[in-house]
Amino acid sequence: MSFIQFEGVEREYIVGDSVIKAVKEVSFSLEDKSFNVVLGQSGAGKTTVLNMLGGMDSPTKGAITVNGEDISKLGTRELTTYRRDKIGFVFQFYNLVPNLTALENVQLAEEICKNPLDAAEMLERVGLGDRKNNFPGQMSGGEQQRVSIARALAKNPQILLCDEPTGALDSGTGRIVLKLIRDIARDMGKTVVVVTHNAPIAEMADTVIHMRDGQISEIRHTEHPRPVEEIVW
Amino acid sequence: MVKGALIKKSIQDMKKNRSQFLSIFIMAALAIGISVGLDTIWTTIDAHSQNFYQDTNISDFWVAASNPSELNLWRVRNIKGVQKAEKRFTVNNATARIDGKPILRVYAVPSENTLDMSLIMSGKKLSKHGAILDRSFAQANHLSVGDPLTIEVNDKRIDTTIEALALSSENIYAVKDTASMMPDPKGYGFIVIDEDRIASAYGGRKPYNQIEVRLAQGADAAEIQSRMDSIFGKKLNFVMAQTDNRGVNFANAKVIQFRSFATVFPFMFFLVTALITFSTMMRLTEDQRNQIGILKALGYSKKSILWHYTSYGVFVGMAGILVGILFGPNVIGRLLLSKIKNLMTFPVEDMVINISKFLFGASIIMTFTAGISFLSCLKLQNEAPAELLRTKMPKKGRHIFLEHFPHVWNHMKFSQKLTARNAMRNKFRIVVSILGVSGCAGLIIGALALFDLVSGIPKTLYEKTYSYDQKVILDSDTTDRAIRNLNLDGIVQDMEESSVQLTTQEGLRKVTAVSVFSKESPLIHLKDAEGNSVTLPDTGIAMTRKLAELMNVEVGDIVNLKRSSDTYYPVTIMKIVYMPSAQGIYMTDGYWQEIGENFRPTALLVQWNKKDNDFLNSGYITSYTDRTTQKSDFEGNLSAIFGTSLLLIVSGTVLAFVVLYNMGMLNFAERVRDLATLEVLGFHQKEIRPLVLTENIVSTVVGIFLGIPIGKYLAGTIAGGFGDDFDLISRVTPDRILIAAAITLTFAAIVNHIVRKKIKSIDMLQALKSVE
Repeated sequence: MSFIQFEGVEREYIVGDSVIKAVKEVSFSLEDKSFNVVLGQSGAGKTTVLNMLGGMDSPTKGAITVNGEDISKLGTRELTTYRRDKIGFVFQFYNLVPNLTALENVQLAEEICKNPLDAAEMLERVGLGDRKNNFPGQMSGGEQQRVSIARALAKNPQILLCDEPTGALDSGTGRIVLKLIRDIARDMGKTVVVVTHNAPIAEMADTVIHMRDGQISEIRHTEHPRPVEEIVW
Repeated sequence: MVKGALIKKSIQDMKKNRSQFLSIFIMAALAIGISVGLDTIWTTIDAHSQNFYQDTNISDFWVAASNPSELNLWRVRNIKGVQKAEKRFTVNNATARIDGKPILRVYAVPSENTLDMSLIMSGKKLSKHGAILDRSFAQANHLSVGDPLTIEVNDKRIDTTIEALALSSENIYAVKDTASMMPDPKGYGFIVIDEDRIASAYGGRKPYNQIEVRLAQGADAAEIQSRMDSIFGKKLNFVMAQTDNRGVNFANAKVIQFRSFATVFPFMFFLVTALITFSTMMRLTEDQRNQIGILKALGYSKKSILWHYTSYGVFVGMAGILVGILFGPNVIGRLLLSKIKNLMTFPVEDMVINISKFLFGASIIMTFTAGISFLSCLKLQNEAPAELLRTKMPKKGRHIFLEHFPHVWNHMKFSQKLTARNAMRNKFRIVVSILGVSGCAGLIIGALALFDLVSGIPKTLYEKTYSYDQKVILDSDTTDRAIRNLNLDGIVQDMEESSVQLTTQEGLRKVTAVSVFSKESPLIHLKDAEGNSVTLPDTGIAMTRKLAELMNVEVGDIVNLKRSSDTYYPVTIMKIVYMPSAQGIYMTDGYWQEIGENFRPTALLVQWNKKDNDFLNSGYITSYTDRTTQKSDFEGNLSAIFGTSLLLIVSGTVLAFVVLYNMGMLNFAERVRDLATLEVLGFHQKEIRPLVLTENIVSTVVGIFLGIPIGKYLAGTIAGGFGDDFDLISRVTPDRILIAAAITLTFAAIVNHIVRKKIKSIDMLQALKSVE
């Protein structure tokens, strides 16, 4: 059994009188400590897949198994615990708490985790050791995203989920951020799932899941993904 | 088209922010409603009484003198500043020969008199043989124009025919004697007859005992009154100013009281309206940065965008004002006036609204709502559309003062650090919350204090000061000896109640009540302001605290006292006593005789071992009242004020809820993104909640504490605003503070519960999508 397994997962939303199927019959499996990309145009259903995997949303049909545990049937409280213990999130818009310093934002993870990593050390690792007392408002987008990565990893999660992590950044900064995610995840042995509409990014993944109209159009495995430095977009 | 789209947007915005706009609306309506409603009470009484005085040509003062001569009258008329002086005869204890033998105050007037005329409501002018009868008395006793009526004056019968029913401006508050507090139209009224008719009861000679004096504009009343001594000499009994007339005094007191309430209380509502509008509109325009940018980019003019946002305030403010002006007079005004109506008799019943105060209040509300809306939008007008369309950087975090104390700061939990930083970043909202809560708590404390002040008066009087079962008003013929011979079974105390004129060394003159009784005084227990017992001095007098204050005298001072004798008798103020209502002086029967008066008991206080009904129905007495009746009458007398207090407690509670709800919601709205982030990170509900709720709880508690001095201040101001007859000590007791705190905290808890539900329903996904 794979580390992450989606089996016939569907997600419907009721908008007014109509039912919209955001995700239809999605099945795939991902290995532990792998680097994966979900690729698709906006509206393809990729964020919905990520949200369900992250325990922020539940499928209307099908099963999602993470490390042997079926999370598709968990209630609100258990999902919170699941997110708390197993998941690290990196968002397109960083979502730092503006009233906490960089260090404090990372320390948030310490507040709630069983085995958190040292916040200051994580900030060093993302290259922001000297900015730890700055507030998000005083930092650039790339720096904020790096704080956000440090925060996600300080929780010492099993899975790191990134929703368009470079979406709000220029390509140079985006590349630095992606490399950081890739390198740290590899060093720490984390499973990573990145959602993006940016096709070249997929070249760095072990597994690429192409999505279109809520369905998987293609799953591609690569033995030798390209290093981030070689990718151009 | 352009206009239509913006109007639709307004409607949508208001729907979306309906709780905030509803709050502004409620506050504005309450502010206007309460200020205009409370104003209506006093403006109505004031207008009706002033008109009444004018229509009936009420005197500026009355001189009571026994058999004044034509020369006396001529001399009064010739004083510079006296416009008119007329004579008449009054007697207070005539009886009507109908069922129940009700008491009538008789005015016997020369036909050429023009002062203190009765206001005829039905019937015709007074003839030589007829009578004008008190309309309320006539209605209560089923008498009407044309009916014959026989009255008994000075043991002689006078037959008359009722020619007219009328009201008298001297009898607005028609109570029979010092023992009564509630008008009893069945048992007491007035009657006016021609001077010739009274002569038959006094051996054919026309008696006079009063001179009515009307002064010219700007005349020095005190100076003119002081000249009565030399004119009337030993015939002078006393001079009574218009304001000392019991009815005038009563109406004035109500005017003073309600004017004070209407000034003190609404302030909080206006303040809170301003604060809530401010926080709502600031947030709305900040939220709509983008939309303002879009409107600008689309080419809407600065003027139309400004008007668009200003119109929110204008509409909500106008709606509040409109409902307030309807609700204030019609609900508050009618409700409270109905409680006063059975106390005072006026020719008209319509309400008089204080238009200028309403316009003033309305313009304040409009300035707040429209002005604040305008300013909050104007702030964004100077930015370029492109700047407005760009997403705004998150508000910068800032290190706070507390971080300079690492041993405190480092031991704080994250939620506490975050709460502290948030609080410092949103100082304005915190200040608004605290101000709002302290206003509500203060208002409730003040309203409770008002309730205590008012309910404390009858308690002090009829539970602590007096211990008789019944107060019996003696017939004027009943002698002290006759009473003693009756051997009544119980504790009996006789007393003489009268009025005397006091003059201070500075020439201040006042007609005041005097009570004379024995030093032992088994049934009247005088006390000082601290509640310690005071016994009457053997020589000299005891004076109530408020009267001493009004006359600017203190213990050891000498005042000149005059009643029926021709000389002023200097008496020393030996003691000060405290009476919450009815000010005057006290002395022993022994001292009363020492200063040349006869002790003739007017009332008998009895605490029965066995009630003697024969005595109570005998000819020795004219009437009697139970102490419990006096107490409930007194309470009835103040029922409008009880109503006011209740109204203020209720509206203070509404105020508290609205403030807390708004501030709680605002705090939540500002936190929503942080909360969603924390939720995604895996924080549980109970770990997230304190971020919002702590601030609400802290500002509520701080607000309540700050509300205590506000409440005390309100209580003090109100206690001082009851008029000359009252001497109230404002006490805000801990249990009142606890009640106010409990009410406020209950609402804080309800609001927190609502916020808690809101937190639970946060849509993480929506909140994380964009920066907005």
